[in-house]
Amino acid sequence: MPQPALPQLHPLLRTLTLGLVCLLAACNRAGDPVYRDQFFAFGTLIDLTFHGVDTPRAEQASRALEQTFRQMHSDWHAWQPGALQQANAGLAEHGQASVDPAMAALIQEANRLSTLSNGLFNPVIGRLVALWGFHNDEPPQGPPPAADRIRQLVEQVPASTDVRVDDGQIHSRNPAVRYDLGAFAKGYAIDRGIEQLKELGILHAIINAGGDLRAIGRHGNRPWRIGIRDPRKPGVLASIEPAGDESVFTSGDYERFYEHEGRRYHHIIDPRSGYPAGATVSATVIHPVAATADAAATALFVAGPDAWPAIARQMGVKYVMLVDREGRIHLNPAMQARLKFESEPEAIVMSEAL
Amino acid sequence: MMTRADRVLMAIVLCALPLLYLHIWTDQEPATMLRMQVADMDATVTPLTPDRHVQLAGPIGESIIEIRAGQARFLDSPCPGKVCVHSGWLREAGQLAACLPNRISIQLLGSRPRFDAINF
Repeated sequence: MPQPALPQLHPLLRTLTLGLVCLLAACNRAGDPVYRDQFFAFGTLIDLTFHGVDTPRAEQASRALEQTFRQMHSDWHAWQPGALQQANAGLAEHGQASVDPAMAALIQEANRLSTLSNGLFNPVIGRLVALWGFHNDEPPQGPPPAADRIRQLVEQVPASTDVRVDDGQIHSRNPAVRYDLGAFAKGYAIDRGIEQLKELGILHAIINAGGDLRAIGRHGNRPWRIGIRDPRKPGVLASIEPAGDESVFTSGDYERFYEHEGRRYHHIIDPRSGYPAGATVSATVIHPVAATADAAATALFVAGPDAWPAIARQMGVKYVMLVDREGRIHLNPAMQARLKFESEPEAIVMSEAL
Repeated sequence: MMTRADRVLMAIVLCALPLLYLHIWTDQEPATMLRMQVADMDATVTPLTPDRHVQLAGPIGESIIEIRAGQARFLDSPCPGKVCVHSGWLREAGQLAACLPNRISIQLLGSRPRFDAINF
């Protein structure tokens, strides 16, 4: 039986129609299945985004993550009863404490990153952080602590190198050592959460814990898109597309702070001075591992506009953006190549390649 | 040789192509809904119209959410630091704010937010 003849389209019209069909096919993007859920843990809001996962499986994964995060939060909390507080009590009384394997691994990794940062990320200045009043869910009201009390704690120089971890025990040779993993535990927990998601077969997801996140996979046929909030005004400063599996962490002076007599006192304490680090407004780091990104963001914030490249190299960080108190944006060239600024920055200070 | 039908079809395609391109590849659709969550309860989703105030009862008291002109914010909350109130208006789909002490979070939703997550 002869086939009916197809209408002959003009070649130009054929091309245009093909383009229209392709674009209509792309409309399917709008129907991409995105699942979102949120829960409270680690003193913040955990925001989950999954792509391409059916709702029952996504809900199951979300509940499992919530349970994991809550357990880690309770175990690693710096000022509420839990395993870390017990460890700190043991260090205070006997210079040693028993820890379970999970806690030992957490402390060892924190110590390793602290050493790489020349101690600028210092997980054992718990007494100093408490003195400043940041061992509280709400920011303190001030006034800042007395200078002699700060000096007293700084002169004791608690360092992660004072601590040895072996056979389920941590030993400290410095009585001033108290763990506060506030600049690290959230990143470490996000890494555990991502491992859990991968085990559950969820390969396209973002775990965003109060603004610090790790993104794996993609949003359908495009990469995930992350906006980096402007540290000083509403809106987004720049955006970035994570490459497959990357973490984006920012430490900023706007996260937890109080003002006293017109001066801002924030929670990122420079372990060398005992005072909030003064030269940086925000430090943003991209790194595959969330725990490293978390510790590095703190360390580079403390390092400030001059010293950050050397610390970044030591910590193996390849992408950094730092905003200083004058509003200048410090970048390394690889970071600049990945960032898309919302508007042209007024002043960029480019470092050498990391 | 183009027929009249060819020309009509070409006009339709030429008009549709740029419109579809803009629709598909320049993302950004305004937020249309607000997701509100209190503690461990199931989230509720509500339209961003009409303008109104929504009272949400959390563990430490009542937080008031203001919805105005397609935006939303914490207008008041019983927390001591008022961090949620100071975080200001949510303007774009995907943005969220939370009152941690009162365990309440709000997030603007849209079918295609500009960003999948905000880092800060």
